[in-house]
Amino acid sequence: MIGQAFQQLKEAGVLGINNRNAEYIMRYNPRSLYPLVDNKVLTKRLAKQYGIPTPVLFHVIENYGSMKNLKTMLEDIKEFVVKPASGSGGSGIILIAERTRNVFLTQSKKVVTLEYLSYHISDILSGIFSLQGHEDHAIIESLIHPDQVFSAVTYQGVPDVRIIVYRGVPVMAMVRLPTKDSDGKANLHRGAIGAGIELGTGQTITAVHKSKIVTHHPDTGNPVSGLQVPHWDTMLSIATLATDMTGLGYIGVDIVIDRDRGPVLLELNARPGLAIQMANKSGLLKRLEDVDAAPDGIFTTPEKRIAWAKENL
Amino acid sequence: MKRPAVLLALGLLILTAVLLLYRIIGLGYPVLPASTGQAFHFKFDGHIKSDGGDTTLSVALPSERPGLIISEEYFGSGSLSFNLFRKESGRYGVWIGQTGRDGEIVSYRAMILMRSPGTAKPKSPVLEKYPPLTNKDEQTAAEKITERLKLLPLPERIETILKLMEDSGSRPPELTFFKFMEGRYSQSTLLLTLFRAALIPARVVDGVRLTEGIVTKPLTWIEAWNGQTWEGLSIDGKETLKDQATLLALTVDGTPVVHVAGGKINDTRWDINRQIVGQWRHNYEHISRSERFLDRWSLFRLPTEFQQTFRILLLVPIGALLICILRNIIGFPTFGIFMPVLMALSFRNTGLIYGLSIFAGVILVGYAARRFLDRLRLLLVPRMSVLLTLVIVCFTLLALFGNKFGLRQVMAVGLLPFVILVMTIERFFVVVEEHGIRTALQTSAGSAAVAFITYLIISSETLQLTFFIYPELLLSIGALQILIGRYTGYRLSELFRFREFRDPS
Ligand SMILES: Nc1ncnc2c1ncn2[C@@H]1O[C@H](COP(=O)(O)OP(=O)(O)O)[C@@H](O)[C@H]1O
Ligand SMILES: [Mg+2]
Repeated sequence: MIGQAFQQLKEAGVLGINNRNAEYIMRYNPRSLYPLVDNKVLTKRLAKQYGIPTPVLFHVIENYGSMKNLKTMLEDIKEFVVKPASGSGGSGIILIAERTRNVFLTQSKKVVTLEYLSYHISDILSGIFSLQGHEDHAIIESLIHPDQVFSAVTYQGVPDVRIIVYRGVPVMAMVRLPTKDSDGKANLHRGAIGAGIELGTGQTITAVHKSKIVTHHPDTGNPVSGLQVPHWDTMLSIATLATDMTGLGYIGVDIVIDRDRGPVLLELNARPGLAIQMANKSGLLKRLEDVDAAPDGIFTTPEKRIAWAKENL
Repeated sequence: MKRPAVLLALGLLILTAVLLLYRIIGLGYPVLPASTGQAFHFKFDGHIKSDGGDTTLSVALPSERPGLIISEEYFGSGSLSFNLFRKESGRYGVWIGQTGRDGEIVSYRAMILMRSPGTAKPKSPVLEKYPPLTNKDEQTAAEKITERLKLLPLPERIETILKLMEDSGSRPPELTFFKFMEGRYSQSTLLLTLFRAALIPARVVDGVRLTEGIVTKPLTWIEAWNGQTWEGLSIDGKETLKDQATLLALTVDGTPVVHVAGGKINDTRWDINRQIVGQWRHNYEHISRSERFLDRWSLFRLPTEFQQTFRILLLVPIGALLICILRNIIGFPTFGIFMPVLMALSFRNTGLIYGLSIFAGVILVGYAARRFLDRLRLLLVPRMSVLLTLVIVCFTLLALFGNKFGLRQVMAVGLLPFVILVMTIERFFVVVEEHGIRTALQTSAGSAAVAFITYLIISSETLQLTFFIYPELLLSIGALQILIGRYTGYRLSELFRFREFRDPS
């Protein structure tokens, strides 16, 4: 019985977590390269060298001492985001959308004071939000204004596009749409919707919400499939470059679309989750194996890799 | 990619098997170390009275041989002096002195532990002289009938001779041997003469039967060498002894078991009692005497005060293996990787019920405190330290109250891994925040379950003993861990997670 069930998953080409860890992450992502993606400051620096846009970095706060100047640092920034350099899962991020001189208003309309912000930053520095509880740095960067395309299927927050890139070839993509449940955050386990994207066209196909297939957004009631993701080709090239940039062979690239700047690289992930398979209703393993089976010399340039992926996946 | 790991695991498994086989076959270890071994309490008592002068009493005592161990010996000698002599043929206790008018009771006690002798073989005996006969013709007659037998292998030679002894009808009438001998010599002398003539080493053995009971006289039987071992025969040569394993030889050279000079002995009795000895003792007695390499490197050679620790320690990897299975094959999360194993270890101090309650209590109190601390906005490390202090304060109070109300068990917290508990509180809090209370409770239940099972494992006397005697089993535990480490198949939980992919639709 169980053996049969395993067989079904295998036939569907589903990638399991053990397989992902042992055969892809451990093999293609050397530990020494992790800091490049786990530390968002380093990621930003790298992206800059490769001409990939990221949210504008205003300040990096590295120690408690420099927090004294917080007030002057924030003096002439109207909207900004405070986040831990090595955070994950969306924790420790505060989005400031409006402010007066000393009072700030978050995107979800909560009032916070400068004092609160400096408390929050010292939390970040102490490592509360960092992956291993190590001391961390705090980032102050520009606020992204989401493009209107997804506004009909987004409840607050910023939707983001996740593209899995294997050996420089984009293999699977989805767009994550915040819902009321997810509290405006784009994390699937918090209740955001994940809509699979067809690589060739950039159109959304199916979608999952809390591990069930859905066709409409639960809050706005608008259909979530058949939407065209704008700047699709640009996104694919940003994603593809991420491999050249970091040297990681199996990577999740998170891109948001800014109203003014277009696609912006938000973060990279060395251990991207597997839920993307549900959003696409398609197995990753099959695609990874397709990439491995492709003839030699076909993946020499990013353009060729994208073209191949559009054609074959 | 998979090959080296699998080969390594296979190698470890084979190594385990080889070591196990060597210990069981070569060293005669018990296959199931926990199966009850044979142990007997051996008692000899006699009442001795001097004729007037010095009396010498010599009593044959059991001796050690492969598969048989003697311990806890005790001699009672009254006013006599006692000496122990070791001869080629066995051990003798010798009491010397003058008894009072009413005589003296002499006694000997010992514990006899038995088990399979392993591959150790008794050494080949040399051929003894003929038993005393009155004239040469008898010997010649014996040689005549056994003439043809000398070509047969030893076991068959024995068999043929026994047949001759048993069945007078089948003897060729021209054989004069039996005519000469029968009636004039004892059956055992007949038998020994024939064995000697056929060049079969044989001997008269005196001893006792190792079964519950009291005997006043030792038993006599005959043993013939069949090339491999001594084969036991009844004294008249009419039957072979099938239960030879239960016979304990005391003398093997025909000398009497009890011999007195200058006095009299009465009321001799051998009292055999079956004993239940602790498995640990049983194995300890065997292994700590052996000079075989693996025995010299056995954990039983550690000072006893450290053995206790290793009994438990050797089982901890099983707990870890369990966690590997739970996480990587089933896909069930636990708090912290080895937290449940540490919990299980601490249950040894607290007991299971109280241990589990502590676990539940600490998480509950800790969670409430953590919620409150969240408002104070303390930094990570100080915040954890505050939690730790709080938890320890709670336990101290509990112990004080327990003392007041006579609840001993609440004081027995031992060195519970408090620090680990505090980290669990933190993890619990984060899981509640990020994944909801349901997942958090599930994870707690999972952790408690693993702690529970691990506790059962490390408390199992049978497993402790098995691993202590066969520490190489750890290699195979390691092998299994390696194999799980290379298990890249789906987790059971993924069958549910990816169930969408399993429908044909
Ligand atoms: N600069 C920003 N502007 C607007 N929203 C942001 C910004 N940075 C992060 N976010 C929001 O926070 C979420 C998590 O941010 P991310 O940088 O991916 O951190 P993490 O590593 O914790 O996932 C994003 O999906 C997005 O919704
Ligand atoms: Mg993210």
